Amino acid sequence: MERRIFLRCIGCGAVAMAAVNAKIWPDFLGGSGPAYAAGYTKALSSKEARYYKKLPEGGIECGICPRHCRVTDLERGYCGTRENHGDVYQTLVYGLPCAANIDPIEKKPLFHFYPGTSAFSLATAGCNVNCKFCQNWDISQSRPEQTDNMELAPSRVPQICIERNVPTIAYTYSEPTIFYEYMYDIAEAGHKNSIRSVMITGGYIESEPLKNLLPMLDAVKVDLKAIRPEYYKNIVNGELKPVLDAIVQIKNSGKWLELVYLIVPTLNDTEAEFKELAQWIKTNLGTDTPLHFSRFYPQYLLKNLPPTPQATLETAHSICKDAGLEYVYLGNLPGHPAESTFCPQCGKILIERRGYKIYQNLLKGNRCYNCNHIIPGLF
Amino acid sequence: MSKVAIVRFPPGENRQKVDKNDYRNMLQAGLMALAGTLNLKAAISKYLPGGVVGMKTNCLARKFNSTPLPLAEALADLLVLSGISNENIIVWERTNQELEWGGFPVSQTAPGVRYIGTDSPGIGYSNDFYSSGPVNSLVSRILTEMLTYNINLPVLKDHSVAGLSGGMKNMYGGINNPNKYHDNNCDPFVAHVSNLEPIKKKNRLTILDAVRLQYNGGPGYNSRYVTAYNGLIISDDPVAADRIGLEILEHFRKINNLPTLEKAGRPVRYLKTAEEIGLGTSSLNKIEILAFIMDNSGKAVKGDYI
Repeated sequence: MERRIFLRCIGCGAVAMAAVNAKIWPDFLGGSGPAYAAGYTKALSSKEARYYKKLPEGGIECGICPRHCRVTDLERGYCGTRENHGDVYQTLVYGLPCAANIDPIEKKPLFHFYPGTSAFSLATAGCNVNCKFCQNWDISQSRPEQTDNMELAPSRVPQICIERNVPTIAYTYSEPTIFYEYMYDIAEAGHKNSIRSVMITGGYIESEPLKNLLPMLDAVKVDLKAIRPEYYKNIVNGELKPVLDAIVQIKNSGKWLELVYLIVPTLNDTEAEFKELAQWIKTNLGTDTPLHFSRFYPQYLLKNLPPTPQATLETAHSICKDAGLEYVYLGNLPGHPAESTFCPQCGKILIERRGYKIYQNLLKGNRCYNCNHIIPGLF
Repeated sequence: MSKVAIVRFPPGENRQKVDKNDYRNMLQAGLMALAGTLNLKAAISKYLPGGVVGMKTNCLARKFNSTPLPLAEALADLLVLSGISNENIIVWERTNQELEWGGFPVSQTAPGVRYIGTDSPGIGYSNDFYSSGPVNSLVSRILTEMLTYNINLPVLKDHSVAGLSGGMKNMYGGINNPNKYHDNNCDPFVAHVSNLEPIKKKNRLTILDAVRLQYNGGPGYNSRYVTAYNGLIISDDPVAADRIGLEILEHFRKINNLPTLEKAGRPVRYLKTAEEIGLGTSSLNKIEILAFIMDNSGKAVKGDYI
C-alpha cells in the first residue's frame, strides 16, 4: 500500500516559499505498515465545540470568530470544520491533524522567541477566512473529510516533543482558531510537561475565546494582512478591525507578539500603507514589536501577480525603520541583511540569520553584547 | 420562453410513500410534456443524447429530506428505456456517507447503476479551480471527468440561509468548499456555483422532488412544517425550475400563516442574479408552466400547480 501524503514541510501561510509533500509516515508517531494504516482515519470528531449559543428559533450561533456563523441542523460554519448536530455544535477536527512537522521556530517566523530552537508544528483542515494568496489552500480551504487526517490525541503531542527534544508546539499552517478546542487541550497538556505553545494566526478570533486561550500560549504571531479594510473585504474575505483588536489584546496580555505583513504587488504595497502600518504599530503596540515583511509568491487565486519586487520590500523596511520601528525584518529573501537582528541602540548585529538558519547569536541573555541594550523577547 | 413541467398527485392526498411506479409515471408525463413529444425515448434523448449520465442527489438531510431512492431508480429505468445502459448511469453525491444517509446502496463498480460519493478512493475534486464571479472552487471529478451529462435531482425545501434549496443550491454538493458561500443568503454564490463551467455545461435537466415539502424549518427534517405536495418539477432551465419551486414553497408558507421568505429575512435573491448572468429565466412572465395531475389510472391530465 502506498504511504499517504502526510508531512508538509511548509511554512505558515504568509512566509512559506514552497509546499513539499513528503510521502513518509512521520516516525514520531511510531510504527509502520499496519500501524501507520491504523493511524489515518476517515472518521471525523464529534466533540462539542466551545463558544456557541443555541438560538431561540433553532440553530446555533458560533462565537469563536467575528464571523458569528448561524448554523442550522446538519450545516457547517464558514470554516467547514464545525457542524450543528441537533443544535449541539461539534468540532469535526479535534485530534485529527492533517499536517505535522518539526520546523525551526524561525519558519513561523518568530525571531525573538528562543532563536535556533524547533517547534512541533501541526494543523487541521479548515480556515475562517479565504485569502486569495493562501500558500496552504489545499488544507486551509478544505473540509476535513477532504484531507488525510491522522489520529493524534492532545496528550500525545507533548510526549512527542519530549522524545524529540522539541521545546515548543506551534499551531500553524491553516488557522488554529478553527481547531481551538484541540489547540487549547494540547497547549494545556504541553504546559503540564513544560512544553511551550505558540499560535500562528490571522488573528480573526473573538475576544472571549482569545482571552481564555492566551494563558495557554507563550507567543503569538499574527498575520496582519493589510492595514486597510477593503483589502480584508476583497482579498481576505474577513474584516480588519477585529484583527487589530485581537493584536492589541495579545499585546496587552503580555504574551510575546510578532507581526507579519505579506506584501502583495498592487494590492497592499503602497508607501502610504506602509506608513499607516508603522504608525498604527507605534501607537498601539510600541516600537519594539517585531514586524516581518514577507515576499509574496504567486499562489492559489493570485497566480496572475508577480512575486514582490525586492525593492518594494526594502522600501517598506525603510519606511518602518524611519518611522521608529526597531525590529523590522524581511522574509522570503534568503541572504538579505534584514533577516538578521541588529541592536537598535548601537547598530551591532546580534543574531545573524540566512533563511531559517542562525549563523551566530551574540546576545548575552536578552542584552546586546556591545552596549547592553535590552532586546525584547524570550531568549 | 422557458418551460417547467409539474406533475403531481391530487393535492391533499396523503402520498407519504410514493413508490417507484408512481415516480415513473410522473417522470414520463413530465419529460414528454417538457420535450413536447409523446415519445418517451425522443423526450429523453432531446436532453440526454447518450454518453454517461449522472444524477446529483441531495442526501445531506438524511432520509426524510433526501432525494428518494425510488425516484432515482425510476429515472434510471427510463434512461435505460431511452437507450442509455445501466453501466452508464451514475448516481452521485458529495460523500458515500451522505448517499448511505439517503438510503442509496453505495456501489462504485459496474455492473448496473453506480452510486458514488466524490470522496470515493481515486475520485475527489478537479486539480484546477473553476471560477465564476466570487466563486472559486474545485469541482467533483465525477462531474468533470466521468459524466457526459448530469441530471440535478434534489429535494425542494426551505433553507435556513438560502431561503430556497432547490436545484442550483444542490450543486453546492458538487464543489469542494460550499461552506464559503453562505453569506448574504447565498447570493450571488448559488448562481455562480451553477455557472461554473462544468456544472453549467453538463447539467441538462433539473428534477425537483416535491412529494413531501418542507416549507419551513429546512433544510433538515422538521415535521411541524411538512406538507404533501405530491409532485415533481421538471425543467431544462435550472433557474426556472427553482423559480417555480419558490412559488410553491411560498404558497405553502402563506396558507400556513408564515411570512414570505423575504420577510423572514431569507430573500431568494440568487434567482435574479442567476437570470442576470444568463443561467436561465427567473421572471415568471417568461416561464411557461405545464401542470398535470395524475389520475387513478396513472395518467396525467392538465391541472393547476398550486
